[in-house]
Amino acid sequence: MQEQVKNGDGIIELKGLTKRFGEIVVLNDISLTFEKGKTTVIIGPSGCGKTVLIKHIIVLLRPSSGEIYFHNQRIDNLDERELGKVRAQMGFLFQGGALFDSLTVYENILFPVKQHTQTKDTRKLDEIVKMKLAMVGMDGFQNYYPARLSGGQKKRVALARAVALNPEVILYDEPTTGLDPIRADIINELILKTQKELGVTSIVVTHDMNSAYKIGDRIIMLHNGKILIDGNAETFKNSTLPIVQGFIRGKVSEKDLKSLQVSFEDIKIDGIQ
Amino acid sequence: MAELKQQKGSMVEQLGGATVRMVGNCGRFSRFQADSLVASFAACFRPATYPLIWNQMLAIGVRSVPVVMITGAFVGMVLAIQAYDQLAGLGIEEHLGVLINLSVVKELGPVLAAVMLAGRVGGALTAELGTMNVTEQILAVRSMGTDPIRYLVAPRLIACLFLTPFLIIYADFLGMIGGYLISVPYLGINSRAYWSLSAAGVEMFDITVGIAKGFFFGAAIAGVSCYKGFHCKEGAQGVGEACTEAFVGSFIIILAIDFVLVVVFKAIYASIWPIKILL
Repeated sequence: MQEQVKNGDGIIELKGLTKRFGEIVVLNDISLTFEKGKTTVIIGPSGCGKTVLIKHIIVLLRPSSGEIYFHNQRIDNLDERELGKVRAQMGFLFQGGALFDSLTVYENILFPVKQHTQTKDTRKLDEIVKMKLAMVGMDGFQNYYPARLSGGQKKRVALARAVALNPEVILYDEPTTGLDPIRADIINELILKTQKELGVTSIVVTHDMNSAYKIGDRIIMLHNGKILIDGNAETFKNSTLPIVQGFIRGKVSEKDLKSLQVSFEDIKIDGIQ
Repeated sequence: MAELKQQKGSMVEQLGGATVRMVGNCGRFSRFQADSLVASFAACFRPATYPLIWNQMLAIGVRSVPVVMITGAFVGMVLAIQAYDQLAGLGIEEHLGVLINLSVVKELGPVLAAVMLAGRVGGALTAELGTMNVTEQILAVRSMGTDPIRYLVAPRLIACLFLTPFLIIYADFLGMIGGYLISVPYLGINSRAYWSLSAAGVEMFDITVGIAKGFFFGAAIAGVSCYKGFHCKEGAQGVGEACTEAFVGSFIIILAIDFVLVVVFKAIYASIWPIKILL
C-alpha cells in the first residue's frame, strides 16, 4: 500500500520512528521518506500523533527510538546549536501561528532573518518584509501587533515568517483549523502557491479532508501511531477500509456511537433529582 | 480501597516517585542555570544582543526605581520609630543613626529591595515567558534555529544581575534619608551627632557587602523566574501557579543566599581586620 520513493528523491527520511510519553506509545515504528518538491499531507483523527510526528521532523521533539535524516544527514542526534543550522532550512507554521505578541508583524517576519543573516541595510530588510507579506496578501500590516489580527491573518503572517529565510521544507501544523471555509481555502491556495513559486517541499498535518485532497500530492493516514494508508486522493476515495471511509465522510464509528448511548436520565447522582 | 491503592500505589512507590521527580527537577533546574550562565556570558560579547539587554534593563531596572525607593524610605522610617524608644531608654538615642544606617546598608536595604524585585520583576518575567511557552512562542524561537535561552533568558539575566546592585543603592539612599527625616526633624535628635556617629559606625565594607549581595540576588531572581516561565504547565492556571512558585522560590533563595553571604563576608572581614589596623 505504501508508495515507493525513488532513491535520491527523498529530502527527509524517518526510520523506525517511535515516540513514547511514559507508557503511552504515540508513534509506533514509523518509516517514511518525504519526496523533494512535493506536498505530503498527513491526516488522522485528533490525538493520533500527527503533531508529534511533524515536531519530530524539525527535532522539536526527540524520538524514543528510530532515526531522522535530512539530506541523508542524521539530525535527531545533533545538539541544539547544530540543529539551529538545519532548522534554518525549514519553516514551521504552528497551529495558532505562534507569532511573538511583543513584536510587530514587521519585527516578527524579520526575526529569523536577523538571527541567521548579517543584513543591516534597512531598505533591504523593508523590501524583504514587504515581499513576504505581499505573497500572503498582508502587505500594509507591517506595524500591527498580532493581538490586532484575526485568526486567518495571524496564520498568513506566520506563513510569511516561515518562508522568510526561503526554506527548502515547510511544515504546516493544522493550517486550516479554526478558520471558516473561505479563510481555510485562502490558506490552501497559499500553500499551493508557495509550493509552486518557491518549489519547496511541504509537509502538512491536517484533519481537513477538503484541504488534503486539494493540496496533497501524497496523503498518509495515521491511526493508533502507525501508518494506516499511504497514497493519493484516489487511493483514499477507493479505499474499502471502514476507518478510512468513516474519516473521509466524517461519520462516527459504531463503537464511538455506542459510547454515546448513555442517556442523561441514566446518570443519577445521589441526592440530586 | 484496593482500587484506590492500585491507582495511587503504595506509600513506598509514592515516596520513590516523588524522589525521582525531585531529583529530575533538580537536574533540569541546574542544567537550565548552567546553560543560562554560559549563554549570558557569551551574550556579553555579542553586540547583536545589546539592544535586547537595553530593553530588559529599561523594563527591569529603570521602571523598578520608584518601588525600590519607596521600599527603602519606609524601611528607614520604620526602623527609626521602632528603635528610638529602646535607645532613648538607655540614653544613647544619638546612636540611632548607626543602627538605622548599618541595618539598611547591610541587610534590610538589599534584602527588601530584592524581595520587592522578586515580586515586580520576577512575576512579570515568569508570566511573560510562561505565556510564551503555552502559546508555543518559545517553541517557535527554537523552530527558527535560535536558542531560546540565548534570546530570551540571557538578556533578562544580564539585566537583573547588573541592575539589582544599582537598585539596592537607591534603596539604601532612600533608607538613610527616611531614617534621617524621622530621627532628626521628628524625634529631635541632634543632626551633627546623628551623622558623625553614623559615619564612624558604618564602614565602606558594610556598604560594599550590601551592594555586592545584589549580584547574587539579581541572578537568583532571573534564574528562578525564567526557569518557572519555561517549565510552566498549560493554561491560565499553569501560568498563575508558575508565577506564585517563582515568587516563593525567589524569596526563599534570596534569604538562603543572604545567610550564606553573611557567613562568607564575615569570614572575609575577620581575615582582613588585622591588615586594616596596620593600615
